[in-house]
Amino acid sequence: MPGLFVVGVSHRSSPVALRERLAVPSSELAAHVRGLAGRSGLSEAVLLSTCNRVELYGVAPDDASEQRARTAFGARVEGHELSPHLYERGGPDAVRHVFRVASSLDSMVVGEPQILGQVKEAYAAALEAGTVGGLLERCFGRAFAVAKRVRSETGIAAGNVSVSSVATDLARQIFGDLSGRRVLLIGAGKMGESAARHLRAQGAQLFVLNRSMERAIQLAAACDGEPRGLHELPAELALADIAIASTSSDRFVVTTELMKQVVKQRKYRQLFLIDIAVPRNVDPRVGEMENVFVYDVDDLQKVAQQNLAQRRREAEAAEALVEQEMREFEAWRRSLDLKPLLVGLRKHVHGILAAELERTLPRLGADASRDRAALEKMLEAATSKLLHQPFVELKRAGEQGDEVLPAAVQRLFPLAAPAPAAAPSGAGAPAVEAEHDEEHALPLGKPAG
Amino acid sequence: MAALFTLTAALYVAAAALYLDFLGRGRERSAGAGAALLGLGAALHFAFLLAEGLRGASPVGADIQQALSVASWLVALGLLATTRGKPRLRVLGAFVTPVTLLLFLGAGFRRGVAVVGEEMRSALLPVHVAANVLGLVAFALAFGVAVAYLVQERQLRRKQLGALFQRLPPLDVLDALSFRLVATGFPMFTLGVVTGTVWAVQRDPSAPAIDATQTVGLLAWATFAMVLLLRVVVGFRGRRAAFGTALGFLGACAVLVGYVVRKDGGS
Repeated sequence: MPGLFVVGVSHRSSPVALRERLAVPSSELAAHVRGLAGRSGLSEAVLLSTCNRVELYGVAPDDASEQRARTAFGARVEGHELSPHLYERGGPDAVRHVFRVASSLDSMVVGEPQILGQVKEAYAAALEAGTVGGLLERCFGRAFAVAKRVRSETGIAAGNVSVSSVATDLARQIFGDLSGRRVLLIGAGKMGESAARHLRAQGAQLFVLNRSMERAIQLAAACDGEPRGLHELPAELALADIAIASTSSDRFVVTTELMKQVVKQRKYRQLFLIDIAVPRNVDPRVGEMENVFVYDVDDLQKVAQQNLAQRRREAEAAEALVEQEMREFEAWRRSLDLKPLLVGLRKHVHGILAAELERTLPRLGADASRDRAALEKMLEAATSKLLHQPFVELKRAGEQGDEVLPAAVQRLFPLAAPAPAAAPSGAGAPAVEAEHDEEHALPLGKPAG
Repeated sequence: MAALFTLTAALYVAAAALYLDFLGRGRERSAGAGAALLGLGAALHFAFLLAEGLRGASPVGADIQQALSVASWLVALGLLATTRGKPRLRVLGAFVTPVTLLLFLGAGFRRGVAVVGEEMRSALLPVHVAANVLGLVAFALAFGVAVAYLVQERQLRRKQLGALFQRLPPLDVLDALSFRLVATGFPMFTLGVVTGTVWAVQRDPSAPAIDATQTVGLLAWATFAMVLLLRVVVGFRGRRAAFGTALGFLGACAVLVGYVVRKDGGS
């Protein structure tokens, strides 16, 4: 039986200095995975390479190929350097692993959405390289479906977990659509710049205010905004919807006196003030004014922490979902083991009936050969009906991991030793065709007629 | 007839409970089921209105309970129309459906007592009632939106940004929707007040000054007028506008309560 396995390093097991030596650029993924599979003799392979993990998913026809794949995977790093950080999982554990990775349960920030896209990219590269067959095709297909279920049925992706994205989220909760909204970036702090970029990405107009006009121009060019001098702050605040204060000033830049003038000019429109500076740039009493909301860095970090805690709670529900899907996949995979037995049993029964028909036909006279087609049809139907219940029971036994019933069938009927029902190597398409052809031959559904 | 009324009320109760469950616990299914039951309730309500009309219990516009019943039906339809295809607004059902229910239950309170006498009826009466009903429907929806605004604004100010905060629509969306609804209802309500005054003068030119119920009605009208005027001229919006809208609707409801409990139906 070919084995599904994963071997790799991730942010949990290794430092970035090691991961970067194993990483493969996305443009080279297809060539790299083709080479890896070829050198190791793997039936199937997918190589995933992100900044947080480098993993090889493979299907090995034997232990030697798996060993060769492990060596080829870590070829760019000394063995003694890699082995303490390398993890390997096989069978159901490998399936569980890929489901967890795609669902972002194994990510540094649980619930982050990028990983699913990266797994899809790795799978597409493997398809291009022709290293996907029946088993990985099914496994990754299920992994994408599980990730979708996890995102829609649990709150794992709810709430943002970085300060700048929390600020954007809050802005959306106040204003709804942010396109066309005026955002002021006051000062040149890094975190403020990041928040401003997030808001700009949502379609907001950005105005960069700085004591140094030269710096304002530089920053505005970098963030796709318009530069303004700091002396324009009162006039700009009167027009703004959102203001991000991020200066190095040790005094309040946005004072209550300033805001009292501004609020009237604004005609009480809502203003969201994000104070990311330490020491703070916005007098906290400004937050008591009508339609003005002030959030400082502690407030934003508290929200980010709450969201992260919430995601961790939701991750428990997601783990249960992954476990259920993994069991279903395993049941399907075990049913693959039974296919040679089922095919053999059908051939055996059909062969006996066909031989009896051949012996009987000459004795039935001339009329019988005219009805041959009908008799053969009847023979097919009889085989299906006869084997329907045994097949249902064998399939159930396979799903439940029961080996007694298949062994009993082997003993009761003189069947040829079953050939392994490997998901075929090479490109996905032929593998899938072969599998479907077999399935059509098996009367696993309701008996005909 | 009583069975139809009870069944409709039960559906409105169930819809309100489901919407509140969605507000509190965020279960998407509850919101969907709430909308479905509200729709079913509105369909039964329509059957109830038809049956009442066929029975000819009282002429159109002469019965305050009938007007209340029509208003509550239109509020239910208004909510369904407002939230259709807008998942972020579905949560408004938690604020508006209880209002629908209360108006409908009010329609069943002391039925038939407050019918305008035959000698008091005129061509102006149906116009007066229809304008007031339409104004009331817009204000009821605006009230639900304004309460949602106040809840959301309070959470944002107190920095309580939990699941409830995430479920409620953005403040600006609520503010703009409330404004549109008040601006729609106000001309109707104004027409209702004017036709009501003309009708009262026509009926008895020597009648004394307006009574307590009518005074409350005028105050409600003045509140909405102020909300709109200040919004347009001074830019008055947000929390104060939401308070004004809620207060104006409660004033309009006080007028209805006055008419329902009075024996003469306001005539």
